[in-house]
Amino acid sequence: MSGEEEENAAELKIGDEFLKAKCLMNCEVALILEHKYEQLQQMSDDPTNQISQVFEKSLQYVKRFSRYKNPDAVRQVREILSRYQLAEFELCVLGNLCPETVEEAIAMVPSIKTKGRGHDDEAIEKMLNDLSLVKKFE
Amino acid sequence: MFIRVQLPWNVIIPAENLDVEGLMLKKSIVNRLLDEFAGKKATKDFGYFLAITTLDNIGEGKVRPQTGDVLFPVVFSAVTFKIFRGEVIQGVVQKVLKHGVFLSCGPLENAYLSNTKMPDYNYVTGENPVFLSEKQSKIEKETVVRVMVIGTKWLEAERQFQALVSLEGDYLGPL
Repeated sequence: MSGEEEENAAELKIGDEFLKAKCLMNCEVALILEHKYEQLQQMSDDPTNQISQVFEKSLQYVKRFSRYKNPDAVRQVREILSRYQLAEFELCVLGNLCPETVEEAIAMVPSIKTKGRGHDDEAIEKMLNDLSLVKKFE
Repeated sequence: MFIRVQLPWNVIIPAENLDVEGLMLKKSIVNRLLDEFAGKKATKDFGYFLAITTLDNIGEGKVRPQTGDVLFPVVFSAVTFKIFRGEVIQGVVQKVLKHGVFLSCGPLENAYLSNTKMPDYNYVTGENPVFLSEKQSKIEKETVVRVMVIGTKWLEAERQFQALVSLEGDYLGPL
């Protein structure tokens, strides 16, 4: 990345390495960390060593802020959002914050409205509807 | 934002932990890696280190001449948490002070929301101080607030990040 001054997630300027990296939604991280927690407790003689504060705080946080709990719903959310040509970063912000209106979605992820992306309000509305359906049937 | 990254790392196994049985050696490498990873806490580039998900490769060990310890280059995948300027996050209020509030967001312990970045809110003193808006929306300890990150700073000595956050923008505020 050329300099920290230029970082701006609202314009999707987060550095190439992160733009290409796989971002994870809170609900996905919750599944990973819960599984990991069980694993560490089973395999280690002294699990307290390997469960760091960072791990604990993150687990608490993602459990509290996961909009979707059920693993099938989590998979569906990613699948739905993947249909809309979003960057990984945008996909996860939307999946985490679950905006209810088109206006709110654009406020949370302004980059989806930048020129040439082809996300008109109707497409965004359809995406939000699809997401709320997953929540309803979870 | 939580991110999946792949990282190289050097694991050093002390000579006394080396064993003729290959299986035990792998276990030592994994254990050493898990310990070091948990102790690392965070780096400036990748953010907070949460958990290793897979060990992708263990390279050939190189004996270190002085000690007889063996260094194994490994590659693993992990989940990290990094905040970006311009990102919208949800934080939980930890402390309410006269000039602003401190929020936490997962492993990030210090996200500061200054009163200059929440112009609609006024400080109300008391045993449990709060920030109140004219519309009676309230920010107190434990309130969940949706904020935008306007600045981040890496503190090398503490191996942690600080963030400045703001309520100026649409759809931001207490939830």
